[in-house]
Amino acid sequence: MMRWVATLAAVICRVNWLIGQFFSWLSLGIVAICFAVVVQRYIFSVSHVWMQDLYIWLNGAMFTSVAGFALLRENHVRVDIFYRPAKMQSRALVDLVGVLFFLLPFTVVVAVYSTPFVLRAWSYYEGSANVGGMPGLFLLKSFILAFVVLLAAQGIAMICRSVLVLRGQADLVPELMQYPQTQPVAPSATSIATLGKR
Amino acid sequence: MDPVLLGEVLSGMMFFGIIGFLLLGFPVAFTLAGVSLMFGAAGWGFGVFDPSNFGSLPNRYIGFMTNEVLVAVPLFIFMGVMLERSQIAEQLLLTMGKLFGNLRGGLAISVIIVGTMLAASTGVVGATVVTMGLISLPAMLRAGYDPKLATGVICASGTLGQIIPPSTVLIFMGDMLSGINSQVQMAKGNFAPVPVSVGDLFAGAILPGLLLVCLYLAYTIFKAITDPASCPATPVPPDEKGDLLREVFTALVPPLLLILAVLGSILGGIATPTEAASVGAVGAMVLAALRWRLSFRVLQETVVQVATITSMVFVILLGASVFSVVFRLMGGDNLVHEFLSNLPGGTLTAVAVVMVIMFVLGFILDTFEIIFIVIPITAPVLLMLDVDPVWLGVLVGVNLQTSFLTPPFGFALFYLRGVAPADLPTSAIYKGIIPFVGLQILAIAILFAFPGIVTWLPRLIAN
Repeated sequence: MMRWVATLAAVICRVNWLIGQFFSWLSLGIVAICFAVVVQRYIFSVSHVWMQDLYIWLNGAMFTSVAGFALLRENHVRVDIFYRPAKMQSRALVDLVGVLFFLLPFTVVVAVYSTPFVLRAWSYYEGSANVGGMPGLFLLKSFILAFVVLLAAQGIAMICRSVLVLRGQADLVPELMQYPQTQPVAPSATSIATLGKR
Repeated sequence: MDPVLLGEVLSGMMFFGIIGFLLLGFPVAFTLAGVSLMFGAAGWGFGVFDPSNFGSLPNRYIGFMTNEVLVAVPLFIFMGVMLERSQIAEQLLLTMGKLFGNLRGGLAISVIIVGTMLAASTGVVGATVVTMGLISLPAMLRAGYDPKLATGVICASGTLGQIIPPSTVLIFMGDMLSGINSQVQMAKGNFAPVPVSVGDLFAGAILPGLLLVCLYLAYTIFKAITDPASCPATPVPPDEKGDLLREVFTALVPPLLLILAVLGSILGGIATPTEAASVGAVGAMVLAALRWRLSFRVLQETVVQVATITSMVFVILLGASVFSVVFRLMGGDNLVHEFLSNLPGGTLTAVAVVMVIMFVLGFILDTFEIIFIVIPITAPVLLMLDVDPVWLGVLVGVNLQTSFLTPPFGFALFYLRGVAPADLPTSAIYKGIIPFVGLQILAIAILFAFPGIVTWLPRLIAN
């Protein structure tokens, strides 16, 4: 039974890891396309509305699609005054309660209210509101659903981790999401204040 | 119970409930959303909240996803991460240390100057604190500096990126304030309001940023005069001096060029912050490439960092939207409105109260969480009371720099602790930051007394 729980967590982690690695490259795309727009405008005095739409949309697609991956990497900031020094079991309990009462209800509510919104966009293959803009706004809107699904999935992986830890089988937790055994001096979360140095 | 009152009570309880639940240590973004949903459900049960209001969430979300101002955020983060890879911070610190080392307090002064330059060339409160903690802290301690002064100066200077433009905090603030401002002006019957832009906030933040730098410098010089033992000079051996002039030149040119290109084009009105940020990001890549630090592996690590940090910040915004919807529709807005408009002393007291609340929240939360929660519920009232939006935004920025500095949850303190020598007591770091938090409060007081320091430059540029 516990092996199945561990396998489920490992599969979810792997999926979010792959998606995160892939969609992170959109950040380079944002830089390249925005820079191309600047060069075109200021050097060649031409501009393409669809390119202006594109790099903005890439940001929307990026931050929604890597949210689950960021949760896997412990990038989402915690107020960890008590959490960080706590025993592994206590941390597992906090994560269990947090996922069940905060994270999952959030994803369910967003999913329930976004589904009709996204379906409407699909019904007429909605494009950019700008004249000459990008087609495929319905695809970008679908990223809201991708966001909640990936986030909820990672939440379920966290539940698995908590169950494994609380049942005394922490060794079965997939390597990607193991709790650090010895507490690092620096906090685990990456804030904008902590760029890079992890 | 009167439903209006009940809704207001529930929204007030929600605000404090969130603070309490945050201490559990579950990620902030989801705690914010989850607790708001619980109170929304309670409000629904009591008939003071209609859940169909959540129907506005997808519209808000797609609004963030297609926002042409906020796309500057990943661009500036990209620039910051890339610059870190090119190690200009290290080079600047070593060179400036040599340049000022002969003076009493010289190492501290070099830390302040490097902090300022890094803040002006990237949009993020970077790992500057860590770099300074690794390079300058050992140098200062070896020279016999008072550990309190050494750590305080590093934490304060390392977080200047929060307020000195370009700053990601000011981008979010500019986007929120411009929307709120146009709504407020409409409500007042002004149908052709002067828009507020991120560029205005950048222009408004320059002098206050320099004011902070001057205060830090003045404090250091004061210490050097009154307490010379706290910051002795570190004479550079003549054989190491060598080609100092040339070294200074090569260390200074890259960051100065970036500052000129990015900040100059924004303030000169040539480019939008987003466009300038893309130029800065490409410039940072060129710098890294020139130093042979740009490989596929570096690029891969950079994009992952940029994407996950960006996602972290935006997801807080998504979570805070749930809070805003519930808080507003249960009548929390009225509560805030009544409270802030009926304070003795009028507008200035109202601003002061909001500042104190933000300062106190800074003990446990970060800048982003605080502005996403507090600005949407208080700024409409304050702008209605004729507070200048640019002044308000900059004041909040200066105020919230302390959120990185105040224990127990100040990131700058954490990170310095992480890299400081183990025999340096944590209490020295906590004590060291006190005078600098004091300087921050002094700066806020000065901006209160002389709002022109903020508003003068944006107006000059607008004309």
